Amino acid sequence: MTASALTRPGQRERLPSKLGEIDWRLAGLTAIIACVGAMMLYSVAGGSWEPWAAKHLFRFAACFLLMLLLSLVDLRVWMSLAYPVYAVALILLICVELFGYTAMGATRWLNLGFTRIQPSEIMKVAIVLGLARYYHAASARDARFSFKLLIPVAMIAMPVLLVAHQPDLGTAMLIALTGLAVMFMAGLSWKVIIAGVAAVAAAIPPFVLFVLHDYQRERILTFLDPEKDPSGSGYHIMQSLIAMGSGGLLGKGYGLGTQSQLNFLPEKHTDFIFATVAEEFGFVGSFTVLVVFGLIIATSLRIASLSHSHFGRLAAAGVTATFALYVLINGAMVMGLAPVVGVPMPMLSYGGTVMVTVMIGFGLIQSVRVHRYMELPKGRGLF
Amino acid sequence: MSGPSIFFEDVNERQGGFLRRTFLLGGFSVLGLTALSVRLAYLQTLQTSRYRSMSAENQFNLRLIPPPRGVIRDRNGVVLAGNRPSFRLLVIRDETKDLDTTLDEVAQLLPATAPRRRSLLREINQSPRFVPVAVATDLTWEEFARVNLHAPQMPGVMADVNEARFYPFGGAFAHVIGYVAKVSDRDIERIRKAGKDPDPILHHPGYRIGKQGIERSMDEQLRGTPGVQRVEVDAGGRQVGEDAENTTAPKPGSDVVLTLDADVQNRALEVFGEESGAAVVMDVRNGDVLCMMSAPAFDANLFVGGVPSKTYKLLSEYERKPLLDKALSGLFPPGSTFKMATALAILAAGINPKERVTCTGGYHFGGRTFRCWRAGGHGSMDMHNALKNSCDTYFYAMSNRASVDRIASAARALGFQSSFSERDFGNQKKGLVPDTAWKRKTFARDPEWHAGETLSVAIGQGALQVNALQLAVMAARIANGRKAVQPRLVRSIGGRAEPSGAAAPDLPFSQEHLDIVRAGMAAVANDVGGTAYRASQLGLGDILMAGKTGTAQVRDYKDGQSRKAAEWKRKDHGLFVAFAPHDAPRYAMAIIVEHGVGGALAAAPRGREIMRTALLKDPDMRARIERPLPDLGAPSGAPSGGEPDVYQPTGPAPTDEAAARIGGPVEEPR
Repeated sequence: MTASALTRPGQRERLPSKLGEIDWRLAGLTAIIACVGAMMLYSVAGGSWEPWAAKHLFRFAACFLLMLLLSLVDLRVWMSLAYPVYAVALILLICVELFGYTAMGATRWLNLGFTRIQPSEIMKVAIVLGLARYYHAASARDARFSFKLLIPVAMIAMPVLLVAHQPDLGTAMLIALTGLAVMFMAGLSWKVIIAGVAAVAAAIPPFVLFVLHDYQRERILTFLDPEKDPSGSGYHIMQSLIAMGSGGLLGKGYGLGTQSQLNFLPEKHTDFIFATVAEEFGFVGSFTVLVVFGLIIATSLRIASLSHSHFGRLAAAGVTATFALYVLINGAMVMGLAPVVGVPMPMLSYGGTVMVTVMIGFGLIQSVRVHRYMELPKGRGLF
Repeated sequence: MSGPSIFFEDVNERQGGFLRRTFLLGGFSVLGLTALSVRLAYLQTLQTSRYRSMSAENQFNLRLIPPPRGVIRDRNGVVLAGNRPSFRLLVIRDETKDLDTTLDEVAQLLPATAPRRRSLLREINQSPRFVPVAVATDLTWEEFARVNLHAPQMPGVMADVNEARFYPFGGAFAHVIGYVAKVSDRDIERIRKAGKDPDPILHHPGYRIGKQGIERSMDEQLRGTPGVQRVEVDAGGRQVGEDAENTTAPKPGSDVVLTLDADVQNRALEVFGEESGAAVVMDVRNGDVLCMMSAPAFDANLFVGGVPSKTYKLLSEYERKPLLDKALSGLFPPGSTFKMATALAILAAGINPKERVTCTGGYHFGGRTFRCWRAGGHGSMDMHNALKNSCDTYFYAMSNRASVDRIASAARALGFQSSFSERDFGNQKKGLVPDTAWKRKTFARDPEWHAGETLSVAIGQGALQVNALQLAVMAARIANGRKAVQPRLVRSIGGRAEPSGAAAPDLPFSQEHLDIVRAGMAAVANDVGGTAYRASQLGLGDILMAGKTGTAQVRDYKDGQSRKAAEWKRKDHGLFVAFAPHDAPRYAMAIIVEHGVGGALAAAPRGREIMRTALLKDPDMRARIERPLPDLGAPSGAPSGGEPDVYQPTGPAPTDEAAARIGGPVEEPR
């Protein structure tokens, strides 16, 4: 297939061409991470496919298919669905607020009868789509600094406040940072950025003192000095540091991590799975995993930069920002650089919801890549 | 494509801006990942050794293995306190499917656990999930076999064998050796107060600590050194592996050999029967205590596994107080057994022992009549006869010439109001020997010593308080030829001999004076008129006993009042001190029969039996008894003093009637 063949009308719309345009390198990198995750889950289960590893692989396979399917979806369809998806996600969040399902002191779920859904997860993708759709229609000047910025700010603030009220501070922060990343990518003025950063820095101490719940404040205080209370709330961080530190350069060997195998490491299969990698494969293993994550981020950003449509650029970059935030926050948390906030390592940690969210995001990125030459109308309508 | 709404500058500006921002976002991500990598490198290369040791601390636990407790033996090697295997049924909560069902099943196997179900549930739920809790101990072999048979079908139930403390003689040594029981918070407190760190083994479930007697005072020596086992555990503390190389075996506690003789002690408990009191037998040469018995006793084995509260209530409420160590903690007025001390004080005052006092059945002093125990009077008495007949009038008359302070110092030299080795005799109470200084100190309102009080002290009444060990020490010191021998109970610890009590200073009495007193005691037991003549015939050839009876008044008697109280608690105490053989003393003895009515009646016959057992176990004594028959031609007959038809054979204490019939005193000196 030559380049000229693709210039023929309708040629790009054919399935084989579309499949060929998918970035298989990126897909392969996500598969590598998922397989490392399954390997670690097999190890921490004491060398058993049950209860996590097999399910993790199966889920990834299903999500991988979903990603391929989404990558074939026309970018125009994505764009026309952007506002509706955002609206539905927002309504679901309001529903959670009104009659959500409460578990462990937080109301995060909606009971649909046959299953429970977590609208805050949907919002992670929806906020990217909604903002990308908004900025697609906005001019560069408006994006830099104008009163119209109140619209994206409101689009970010509404879900963030709803999620924070559940309370799910980790997800709220993730949504806020994702939204801000999209605003940043759209070309927000540096003056506004600097002013905002300064305002946030000034607001943190009173926020910590007066707004946070006790357990949230405790987490932050513990993070600042984990060894102060090693059996209480500092336990997670201490055990994670012990796991990673004792791994050394080359690790204790696959299946031989005492911290994880003997259950000293809490949440070893979800939030703290990266510590397990570090314990069993040492610095060599954990650094390699970080490099793979870095390659995924770099590839995704390149896809974003190659898109001909502003919507495509912002959507791909926004999803990449979410993904990068996941990796950085989880990494920092596991290494004792950030408080324990309950953000998993994408595709490495066991857990269906995040896997689905992240793979939908990659579907969107792949779709941007497949349809990178597509010009989209500026369309000021809702659809 | 709809309308021409594309402004190229704008598009280019947006695209150019986006590209710059993309580089920045990529840059931030790389920065973040680099920061994480640096942190990882710091943790995994520079801090490795620190976190490795913390990881090992997590992974490995040191478990203590309780050491076998040292065995306590008597002087001949007979085990008095040992260890025996105990079959137990254990329940591990973590492994049970449902604790209630498991306990139901256990109750079917061992019905005895059913009534304790509630306390068992509490105990199991209070201990950590994975720690085995003993639900039943001391199973019989059949029960143990039954449990073993069914255990595989009952998850969380297992049977094992551990070591339990065992007292083969049950009650005979309950007071002197004591017992072990579960470690209580008060024990820990006591160890902390002594300025020591409580051994971690004390927190081991099933560990026992000495609570009384030798078990308590020698606890540290008996304890041994716990073994240490390095085990791999998971976060819940469950054992998942063992590090055999780093495991040390427990070191058993030191064996303790006592000076006691199991046969003498058992005989003592036997002859006391239902009576309450104490018996102490000592070697006069070195202070070795052969017998220290308190009656009634209790089974020390009851306390090892935790005594049921009902049983404990019965024991503590019984009027004859089985839980009290009467040999050391029980204080009694010595009665006439004190007259040796008074006699030595009289001699020390320079009074001629041949000086006579005429007894007419009482002594008038200070407008009051102090009565002699024999209402009819003894007639003319010198010191020898006064001791032999226990004539109160003689001592009344001489007491104030000797002075109470001289009597008190003689008494103290003989061992009264003194305490002996705290380790061997932890329960001892000092008692009291009154004198003028004591009176001054104790009675602010009436600090003056009255001469009349001396009369009471002279015959062992008044404020005098002594224990059975002190009485035995007195007898030993009088018998052994001027040595202030110290009693001892522990002969050796872990094979190392303890210092004997023989290295002692001389008594402050002259040999001549002691001989006079000893002759008086010999007369008590061997002269036909002596107060304990009938009850003192050993029947061991020429081995004779010397002794002194005593009857300690529990209350005042008014004129004409009967001295035979119906109520046990109001009867007089019977006492007897003795040593044998009287010509070459070897064993001294003190017997107290609480509310036993009379010394000659209740105490002396029991003393004779105990003394016989002690003498018969002594190889030197046997050699003396079993010496080769003299020339058959010579008219030898039985050795002196041993007329077999007169000698009262072993048996129950003579009743009043029997005592009266054989001519012994029914009434006894106060």
